[in-house]
Amino acid sequence: MTDQAADRIDLLQGTLDMLILRTLRFGPAHGHAIAKHIQRTSDEVLQVEHGSLYPALHRLERKGWIASKWEKAKDRNREFKYYRLTPGGKKHLAAQESKWRQIAAAIARVMSPVQDV
Amino acid sequence: MFQWRDFWHSRGKEDADLEKELRAHLDLEAEERQESGTSPTEARYAARRAFGNTTLVKEDVRALSPWVWLEIVIQDARYGLRQLRRSPGFTIVAVLTLALGIGANTAIFTLVHAILLKSLPVSHPEQLYNLGDDRECCAISGSQDSFSLFSYPLYQEIRDHAPEFSEIAAFRSHLLNVSVRRSRDNGFAQPFRAQYVSGNYFTLFGVGAFAGRALAPSDDEPGAATVAVMSYRAWQARFASDPSVVGGTLTVDRQPVTIVGVTSPSFFGENLTGDPAELWFALASEPALNQIGSHLNQPDEYWLYTIGRLGPGVRPGQAQARIKSEIQQWIASRPGRSGYRRDELEKLNFSLTPANGGIQNLQFYYADALHFLAAVSAFVLLIACANIANLLLARRTASRLQIAVRVALGASRARLVRQTLTEGVLLALFGGAAGVLLAFAGTRAILLLAFHGADYVPVDPSPSLPVLLFALAVSVLTGVIFSMAPAWVGSHTRPLESLRGAGRSLTESSTLPQKTLLVLQATLSLVLLVGAGLATESLRRLENQQFGFQTRGRLMVKVDSDLAGYAPERLPTLYQELQLHLSQIPGVLSASLSLNSPMEGSNWGEPVSIAGHPTQPGAQQGSSLSSVSAHYFETIGARLVRGRFIDERDTPTSRHVAVINEAFARKYLPNEDPLGQHFGIGDAVHAGDYEIVGIVGDIKYFDARSAANVMAFLPLMQAREDNSNIFHEIQLLVAGSPQNMQAILQRTLASVDPNLTVIRCITFDDQLSRNFNSDRLVARLTTLYGVLALILACVGLYGVAAYTVARRTSEIGIRMALGAPRGTIIRMMLRVAMSPIGLGLLIGLPLALGGGHAIARGLYGVKSYDPFVLGTAVFVLCTSSIIAAVIPARRAASIDPIQALRIE
Repeated sequence: MTDQAADRIDLLQGTLDMLILRTLRFGPAHGHAIAKHIQRTSDEVLQVEHGSLYPALHRLERKGWIASKWEKAKDRNREFKYYRLTPGGKKHLAAQESKWRQIAAAIARVMSPVQDV
Repeated sequence: MFQWRDFWHSRGKEDADLEKELRAHLDLEAEERQESGTSPTEARYAARRAFGNTTLVKEDVRALSPWVWLEIVIQDARYGLRQLRRSPGFTIVAVLTLALGIGANTAIFTLVHAILLKSLPVSHPEQLYNLGDDRECCAISGSQDSFSLFSYPLYQEIRDHAPEFSEIAAFRSHLLNVSVRRSRDNGFAQPFRAQYVSGNYFTLFGVGAFAGRALAPSDDEPGAATVAVMSYRAWQARFASDPSVVGGTLTVDRQPVTIVGVTSPSFFGENLTGDPAELWFALASEPALNQIGSHLNQPDEYWLYTIGRLGPGVRPGQAQARIKSEIQQWIASRPGRSGYRRDELEKLNFSLTPANGGIQNLQFYYADALHFLAAVSAFVLLIACANIANLLLARRTASRLQIAVRVALGASRARLVRQTLTEGVLLALFGGAAGVLLAFAGTRAILLLAFHGADYVPVDPSPSLPVLLFALAVSVLTGVIFSMAPAWVGSHTRPLESLRGAGRSLTESSTLPQKTLLVLQATLSLVLLVGAGLATESLRRLENQQFGFQTRGRLMVKVDSDLAGYAPERLPTLYQELQLHLSQIPGVLSASLSLNSPMEGSNWGEPVSIAGHPTQPGAQQGSSLSSVSAHYFETIGARLVRGRFIDERDTPTSRHVAVINEAFARKYLPNEDPLGQHFGIGDAVHAGDYEIVGIVGDIKYFDARSAANVMAFLPLMQAREDNSNIFHEIQLLVAGSPQNMQAILQRTLASVDPNLTVIRCITFDDQLSRNFNSDRLVARLTTLYGVLALILACVGLYGVAAYTVARRTSEIGIRMALGAPRGTIIRMMLRVAMSPIGLGLLIGLPLALGGGHAIARGLYGVKSYDPFVLGTAVFVLCTSSIIAAVIPARRAASIDPIQALRIE
């Protein structure tokens, strides 16, 4: 594939869930927008496979962390399924985030011990 | 509550929702691409490419549903149904085979459940315990091998001093016949089955009355009015549910009895038996109804069974020890220890047994037979399983290509196995449903066989919930079992090999599982056939043994002859008159009266003393006894060995004589001439009472399986013991076929005394055959199941042979083209088919010998290794399998080589 593809990082399942929840912190969004947002904010490094995005969305909805509603888009004359964060989802996201920060910091310490000292 | 409609509805909505969501995504993507300059068509394609496989996404989302497994099962079931519909011939054969196998098992289970497992229809049956194990019966006035009969005073003692039990009830150990007349009917009296029970009997079982009231303790007090409770069925069948019966009066054995109630419909008493009790009297009524020889107030007459309800938290072992020591103390306090020797009393054998199923006579009698039949029917089902497995294997090989393609396309092996299992279970469920119908019809037939001679059996043949659950479980298990081989073979398909080998098929290895199944079938069939042969031969020898009497043209008539009020001196006149009238009935060649008839189930035994042969101290010598009228031996066709029969010369005033059987002579008077010797009933004081005037050949009276009892016959006119001078039986020898005599007999008896009631009139042959009900049940069913197994095995063999021929058509064509003669081809195909049968015989013979050894206890007169039976079984199996194999072999030999080669 192209060079661009080589830079992409495949997302682990738990990570994708966290990114979706994090994205929805900014307000309700539909699947397409969520994928786009993740790609854009990660400077195209994180590519969301649609094959895993929609199952992930439905899984999160079954767990009650997000809820969905069909609504007309503001800019287009078309209905989209908008997902929004539920209070349970917010709590879950907070827990995941702090866990992620711990892991990231720990990994960073291992990878560059000199800087840290 | 789970609603299928809602379920499907919501699933459909979810699917549509996802579809719409994905379409919106694709459209948006396409629009964005279009806005950046791509052509509309190109934009749409690009959007699709960027998204990837939409179907996969849909499937992944669907798989999140908690019901996804159900969907897969339904999918597999639909696929299976489609497969089954596509080959109706296979489906019909398979369902029929399974119906036979599952039906056979369900029918036996219905019986096992009803007779061995089911509790009495009473409240909390699990708290009920028999005091004793009910191995003894009737009335005993000496020691019991296993203490289970109580005298009334002993029962009262135990009842009042057993805090372990909340209630203990007593009842007569076997039913009795009474004659019942309704005062306003002028017809003859009707015989009823009756039972004496203690006043707390119905309280113990917690059984109420359907109408009126049940018996109460107040009915069981001395001096209480004689009342009775009627069974619901008797009320319905005999009195057409006439409400005026309740509270009305019936004449029972000449005594007026008030019917106070009708029991609840499901209650049949404490003993599951053919023709259960119809009237229940309080024990206190026994002396009034049974004026001669009442047992009630005789402390040393043991005639009652007892059942108790264990109090909460009491362990049966604890109660058993207490009751046992109480019995021992009570007997020890009796004068003469109630006939027990000191050591016998110390070693008293007493156990508490669960009574949730009531009195276990029937269970004891049928348990072996039912367990054996359960094993036999399981064998039949196994053979049926092997058959279906073989059919499925053949089909699977035929559809090998299809499976290979599916595996090559990525179908998971687990899914393939699951699909095969689903198809198998589906097939088995159809077979099970058909089997339940078959079992329903079969159970009726089996009940008729098992309770041959009974007018009414309190066993419901219609499938109950446990029976249906059993059938369901067996079906599912069966489906899994017979799908195992095809599933294994299927999941090991190597797509490449199968695809490459398509069209050419010479690999022999694929028939190995089929041949193994054939070996299994042959083995099981042989074991079944040997079992059937042994059971049938045993029954034949039981029925055709020397009983010591003739059956042709002979009738035995049971008479309710409670001759209360007859002065003993009037009996001889009555008997003479009866015998005269009976012998004048047209067609009657000879008539006699007696206490018991042969093989009718009654026995009267007493200790005897022989004059001049003092008994060793501690040794008991006893004999069975009967009192018979003149012409008795001629009427039943007994053999005179020496001396004379009992005849008209033996009157009340003449010398007291007796006729003994050969066993008596052999045991007590060996090596001397018994004629002219004397013996008596009881101790040595009586040893001179009866002079032996004749010896007859041994006559079997009680147990057809053991040698005839030692026995002595006294003249009915002279017998003095208790009520042994009261006749209960009439024997008739008639010209032609002995049928429809009941009415004329009843008229004849009534002309002598209107209170004599015919209870039962039956030919000797019928009476004999009733003694072998369980043997006949086993022999007939095993034969039926053996034949079934044989047919199934032959069909299986035929199928495999035919399939082999079809698969090797081209090979056979080549052989014939090269000049192989027809005979060689037939022999070759026979060898292929018969080698598994031969192997099955080799494995089956030792198994059959082992099986025969296991059932040897139940066999009569035939050894478990009977060469005739073994030989016949092997011969039958070989012959029928050769026939099954020869048809396809001949077809193979008639293949036209040109045609066969052209096919490929």
